Amino acid sequence: MQKIVDVQNIEKIYGKAGEKQFKALSDVNFEVKPGEFVGIMGASGSGKTTLLNILSTLDTPTSGRVEIAGQDITKLKNNEMADFRSNKIGFIFQDFNLLENLTAYENIALPLALQNKPAKAIKPAVMNISEKLGLTEILNHYPTELSGGQKQRVAAARALVHEPSIVFGDEPTGALDSKSARALMDTLTKINREDNVSILLVTHDPFSASFCDRILFIKDGEIGQELKKEDHSRAEYYQEILDSLGTFAE
Amino acid sequence: MLNKLALSGIKHRIRDYSVLFSGLMIASAIFYMFMSLATNKSFLNSNSPASATSFIFGFGIVLLAIITIVYINYANTFLLSMRQKEYGMFMMLGAKSSKISRMIFIETFAIGAISTLIGTALGILATGFVSKWIISALDMQVKHFNSFYLPALLSTFVFFVVIFMFSAIKNSMSLRRSKVLTLLNRDSQPVKIKRNGVLKAVQAVLGLVLLALGYLSMWYIGQNPGFIMIGIPIALVTIVGGTYFTINSFVTAFIVMLKHNTKYSQKGLNNFTLSQLSFRINDYTKILSMVSIMFALALGAITVGLGFNNQIDNVVNGQNYYDVQLTNPDAAQQKRLKGLNIEKKNIYNFKVDKTNVYYKTSEFKKQPLGYAQIDTKTMISKQQITADPSKNDNAKFELMNTRMPDQRGKVVKFVNTQEFNAINAPTTTTVLVKTNSFKNNLAEIKSISKAEVKRYPVLKNAGADKYSAYTMINGFFSGLEFMGFFLGIAFLAMLASCLMFKILSGANGDVKRYNMLYKIGTQQKVLRATINKEIGVLFSVPAILGIVHVLLGLQMFNKILYKPYANIEIPFAIFIVLYLGYYFVTRYLYKKIVLK
Repeated sequence: MQKIVDVQNIEKIYGKAGEKQFKALSDVNFEVKPGEFVGIMGASGSGKTTLLNILSTLDTPTSGRVEIAGQDITKLKNNEMADFRSNKIGFIFQDFNLLENLTAYENIALPLALQNKPAKAIKPAVMNISEKLGLTEILNHYPTELSGGQKQRVAAARALVHEPSIVFGDEPTGALDSKSARALMDTLTKINREDNVSILLVTHDPFSASFCDRILFIKDGEIGQELKKEDHSRAEYYQEILDSLGTFAE
Repeated sequence: MLNKLALSGIKHRIRDYSVLFSGLMIASAIFYMFMSLATNKSFLNSNSPASATSFIFGFGIVLLAIITIVYINYANTFLLSMRQKEYGMFMMLGAKSSKISRMIFIETFAIGAISTLIGTALGILATGFVSKWIISALDMQVKHFNSFYLPALLSTFVFFVVIFMFSAIKNSMSLRRSKVLTLLNRDSQPVKIKRNGVLKAVQAVLGLVLLALGYLSMWYIGQNPGFIMIGIPIALVTIVGGTYFTINSFVTAFIVMLKHNTKYSQKGLNNFTLSQLSFRINDYTKILSMVSIMFALALGAITVGLGFNNQIDNVVNGQNYYDVQLTNPDAAQQKRLKGLNIEKKNIYNFKVDKTNVYYKTSEFKKQPLGYAQIDTKTMISKQQITADPSKNDNAKFELMNTRMPDQRGKVVKFVNTQEFNAINAPTTTTVLVKTNSFKNNLAEIKSISKAEVKRYPVLKNAGADKYSAYTMINGFFSGLEFMGFFLGIAFLAMLASCLMFKILSGANGDVKRYNMLYKIGTQQKVLRATINKEIGVLFSVPAILGIVHVLLGLQMFNKILYKPYANIEIPFAIFIVLYLGYYFVTRYLYKKIVLK
């Protein structure tokens, strides 16, 4: 089976040669299969944000190889990277990152407009994803008029509207209350199951992580442990994650 | 300890502070530039014919003062927004609010004082530089002008010290009143925009009515110059108000219209640009209207200044009918006359005794005498001819000035040929030449006039020919032209820097937006194009309105200037090139801040 994400031996070193250097990632290897829901967990400073930045072409690794949807993204030039992001990747950020001067509808439509899709094609796509995420009522509202949970669902719709190969979430529940967080994770799970969308989540919140099929633990720039959900219930898996975190942190 | 911390805070935000400092320095430099002209009474009196000039300059001072206050007030808000988080943190850590408010007071005042000192020094340099440049570029004669003028310096200092004193008090009070939490979080509080269709429609109508009133009153001034004392204040108030409402209603409506056109708006980042603009226009209405008024004033000043230059020809033609006048021309002068493109050549003979000058009536019957007239109210010159100068004072005056200075005071008698021949005195011949155009024959006319002065040294200080009138009038109008250019450039610098700093001070808030667009896959090229478009619109809205103001406002000079719209493209081109320069600098700096 084809892999959506294939990471081979990547290494990221900050600081120039001869100066004091800091190794943020060393020899990281993993893969994500189509339709998989993968979580990456780690404490602050463990390297998980660096890893996500590299996967999303915002940063480049010092060495190693990253393939997304069959394309080696470490070889892309600046404009190609931008195009790659706008076509193949969806983003959900911790602080929503919605444009507060655009309505919810316009925010969701943005990735399609960026690809210069005709206005006729944009509307059905936006309506379709909005319906799935229960946003049809609030499409004409501005972000400041929405609750945190609604904002994050709009952000999720924006990440999904152009049918990317993979959605990256950077602590998507980080700014949400527990009820909204749960609703968002349920929605993501549903989309993952029903539409077979691959999702890669970076988080340090065990609750959010318990929705994933598989969790990679990262510590000091290295992937240490892997935890699969398999047949466990979500509650059991949550407990397992907590246990792993306890031992992993030591 | 706290002072040390506050100072280190400044060091960390050196870029923001340099924006603030340069803005304030430019403000005080321009204020000084303007004052160096406006407060210099001997310059104004020696260079302007109208008593209205000092009145107009008085208005200029009031206007510039208002603009400067608005500008400083906004720079001050910028300073406060920059510092409140830090001061909030000091308060959270236990600093007393009285201590904090004293610190912000000192900081505000110190920034004001330092920038005023450096700014006025720059102003003196700029005044010297700009005046030299204008004088040499336009070949002008300007008297009583000095780039260092003490009264201007003092008034600039007093003005800025007072304003900064108020700003400092305002800042310290506002910090003392705010709660610590508000100070810490003010940045993240969202701005809600109000949408009110009815209000916008009322504003649109009101805006147009006010603008029409303003234009009408300027036209009325043009027809009745006496109306100026009431007309200018009316025009000022109505046009300022009208501009504000028009920008607030029409421009927003236009953007909404474009947004509704999904074919356009849902293409690339168009929708983002439109939204940025509609938010901006809400926030910028005040500054955009101010800029468009200043744009009109500055462009108007340059246009009118150049208009005075065009005037020279008209006024000179109103002084003398004939372009060249010769007394008993010798062979050399006759030869020089051949270089001219002659339209009319009259030759008169006269004799002089102790008290009288005698002309032959028949000579005027054969070659009627031309004479020039200028209506000093309308500045329109007329040229006429008469076969009987004895009954025409204007013609007699013209004739008088063709004689040597010592013969001008004598009584003129027009006699028949017999009487003329009976007078026992030598005959003097006057040759008067009118060319097809004074301007086009200027070089030859100049050499003939110079040669005539060489032949008759008494003419050196008493030349009454057209060329002497030209030199005098040129010097005189140069003063007006200089004022126009100087004011125009000072105002342009002020308005463009205002707009520039307003845009740049908002740039920090945009960093996040552009960063997000970059993350979701917008090419740098597209981001840059968006910024160019956005700043381009912000610069062109006031420019377009300003140009309309000038085009209609020139009606005011209908009676003062001969042809107010002649050669209008020259000042417009100069102005637009300078303004474009500001646009390019602004968008360059903006991109430096916003794009990583």
